[in-house]
This record gives sequence, C-alpha cells and structure tokens, in this order.
Amino acid sequence: MASEVDHAQFRLIIPSQTRYLNLVTGLAKRASLVAGLDDATAAKVSIAVDEAVTNVILHAYHGEGEHSVELELRFTEEALEIHIWHSGQGIRGDQMVLPDPKEYIKHPRKGGLGLLLMSRFMDEVQFKSDEVSGRNECCLIKKIS
Amino acid sequence: MADLSIAVRQVGDVAVLLPAGFINAHTVLGFEEALEKLVQDGHYTILLNCKDLNYISSAGLGAIMGLIETVREHGGDILLSNLQDNVFTIFDTLGFTQLYRVFGDEGQALAAASPEQKG
Repeated sequence: MASEVDHAQFRLIIPSQTRYLNLVTGLAKRASLVAGLDDATAAKVSIAVDEAVTNVILHAYHGEGEHSVELELRFTEEALEIHIWHSGQGIRGDQMVLPDPKEYIKHPRKGGLGLLLMSRFMDEVQFKSDEVSGRNECCLIKKIS
Repeated sequence: MADLSIAVRQVGDVAVLLPAGFINAHTVLGFEEALEKLVQDGHYTILLNCKDLNYISSAGLGAIMGLIETVREHGGDILLSNLQDNVFTIFDTLGFTQLYRVFGDEGQALAAASPEQKG
C-alpha cells in the first residue's frame, strides 16, 4: 500500500559534522528560490540555516560528530519554514540573548554573532523543547511577500 | 574543489589575503590560521580581497574580529575590498562596515593603506 506523502514538506538527516554545512546551506538556498524568494533573500536564509546548524553541532552536541541533525523544509503559501531538530543540549527562547551590535563594535570579540544573524535574516526564530522525547527544535521562518 | 582556498601576496607593506570559496565553521580554521600567521610574522596591515569569497558565516567574522585589536595596537588595520553583495550584506547588517574600511577594489584599498604605512 502506498503511503500518503505531503509533497510540500520533506526531511533531511545529516551527521552532526561541519563538513556537511555546505550541503545544507546549498539546499536552503535552492529551497528558498523554489519557495519564490529572491536571490538576496535566499542567501540570507542559507546563512541563517548555517548558523542554526552550526550551533547544534558545536554547542548542542559540543562538536561530537556521531549524532544526527534533522532538517525539515515546509513550503506553505505564506512562508518557507525550516525546522531543525536535535537531541543535544537545548536553548530556550528566553535564553536567547542577542548582542548589541553597537556594543559589539566597541568591544570586539569572537562569537555571539550567529544568533544575531539568524534573527536579522529571518522573520521568526523559535526554540522549542520536547521534554518527553528529549528533542529540541529550532524553527526558522521566512515569509513570502 | 575545496570549500576554501587561500592565497597570500605582499604588495608593499600590505599583506593581501585572498580567500576563495566558503568560510563557515568547517573551513574557518584554515582562514584563522592564515590570518594569525600574517600577524605572527609582523604583517599588521592586512587587506582581505574578497572577490572570490562566495560566503562567510559568523565563524569567519569572529576570526577577523579576534585580530582587529591586535593589528590596530601595532598601528595596522584590516581592510576589506571586492565584497560580493551577500558578503557585504552580512557585514553591513551587523554594523561592521563602521568598524572596517571597505573598498570597491584592491587598488583603492592599497592606496588608502599606503599613507598609513608611511606615516
């Protein structure tokens, strides 16, 4: 019996290794174009996805490469949604502290910019945690105007 | 093709670094090492010619940020030229175009850098 497939969404599971970042960002850029976004916006979406997946690999999984990162692309009439799931250390929305760019420029340092880029380049960035399954999610939404 | 290749050449007192490809968390170590080697060798005025840089994430920005104070303490600077639109957008979105001097092409950047070297 053929299973029912929702053609407006699909998933990709990658190992938690930075060598696959280019693959994921390339996919995000192409998906953005398919969703109807322009080139410049597609580039921003790909950066946001890079930052989100990098955070999962380096911070949620502490650089351990034997875990999985699951991405789901959802195409709706209103938006492109990119959901990123992992089983590593989660971050709650209220823990998401964005650096002030003006302060950052006065006191340059490494790190802290990924979340800022994600929030600037996407319309919505949500962090969710499922205590039952132990999985965490980062949801990136770009509206199609 | 490798995700990132880096060429370095010297033009007068300016070290010109040309990253080609993608700078992300996977490739940033090579970029960071190239920058740090220049500084360790006493090159404090560095021009990043980004004509072949297709992409830079916050990992790459962090590598540049990590050295800016050091080079300026030694009277040098990190300059940027030939930024592709999406790379410029990243710098500009974060306000970094106020922190770094950005030039349209390498010649303009070298001309701006030279007086500093003499002065």
